[in-house]
Amino acid sequence: MAFHKSIRSRRGRKKIHKDFELQLTSMMDILVIILVFLLKSYATSTNSFSSVPGIKLPISKSQEMTPDSLHLIVTPEAITFETQRVIEFIQTPDALNGGQPTYSFKPEDIDEGGMRIARLYDALNAAREKAEVLRAKSSARDANGNPLPFDGVLAIQADKRVKYDTLRKIMYTAGAAQFRIFRLLAMKQDQ
Amino acid sequence: MLKRPSSRRRSNHAEVTLNLVPMLDALVTMISFLMYTMAFLSLTMIESPLPMVSSEENTQQLKEPPLQLTLTVNENDLLLWSPFDRIPQTTIPNKEDKSPDLLKLHETLIGIKQKYPNETKLVLVPKSSTSYDLIVSVIDASKNLDKTDPVIVIKNEKTGVEEQAKYLFGEVVFGNLLGGDE
Repeated sequence: MAFHKSIRSRRGRKKIHKDFELQLTSMMDILVIILVFLLKSYATSTNSFSSVPGIKLPISKSQEMTPDSLHLIVTPEAITFETQRVIEFIQTPDALNGGQPTYSFKPEDIDEGGMRIARLYDALNAAREKAEVLRAKSSARDANGNPLPFDGVLAIQADKRVKYDTLRKIMYTAGAAQFRIFRLLAMKQDQ
Repeated sequence: MLKRPSSRRRSNHAEVTLNLVPMLDALVTMISFLMYTMAFLSLTMIESPLPMVSSEENTQQLKEPPLQLTLTVNENDLLLWSPFDRIPQTTIPNKEDKSPDLLKLHETLIGIKQKYPNETKLVLVPKSSTSYDLIVSVIDASKNLDKTDPVIVIKNEKTGVEEQAKYLFGEVVFGNLLGGDE
């Protein structure tokens, strides 16, 4: 058995040319094409925004960059503020089976005549207070030597099916917590 | 008689093989780095400030009433109007497929911008049932100027120099955010 194996391996060895060289030129061509493509479509990002499973963003022609800021995500199930789930929407059997989400709030989550989302207000207020404490400790000061004021910017990433009624409640709540500027996130349309 | 060719050139025929392996290594490293740091999700934003309530005294101090261009998004049409009647009220009915006629809205807004070139604000009043997708589309049509649009020249208030407008109505504010249902 060992004898037969040895002959087989010797025959096989004969087939390999001694001066065999791997052709790298074609591989180089492919890699250069990939590199050019990547460099062309390369987009650096200074923010921590990422895609969220379950939401479809609207498409916008706007070309503005998205600087980093406090981040609120509205999914069909809940509202998440800075990775913390603060509010859960009412779920219907249809919505659970992939149908149209309701984006409706539970009655106990809403106050001020149905406009303010109580727990979201608490979370936003806590984030503002934390930002103000950090700014007070920071060495950065304005012309009068006072700490820099809270910028009050909130980025909202929401599904395109969300109704204005829900968005308005969120923005009203943020306004009550002294957030003054809203950044509505969307997918950039290719020009 | 032709000159005899140089023998030096002929003797130098040893094949030179370029060593591609280090270059290949560099390319693979660069591609790995680019793919790792690349942002595949291309996000953009639409900025909107919280509306501020101005006092009646401030309004009275102005030489002339402001334009306060307002766009109401109704179920069947779009309505452009000014609370101080600076422009005639314009209704833009929805298209046959019941979607808003954003092209007509854009054209109408260009006409208004040509009349009031230094006006930058637009008050948007959507209905409670208006989808976020439609809001973004309406803001896009109201805010951005396309390459095919006519050039609008504005006077820079700080420098006094005339320059081309970058935006149609760049500051979009939600008019019914703080109160009022529809």
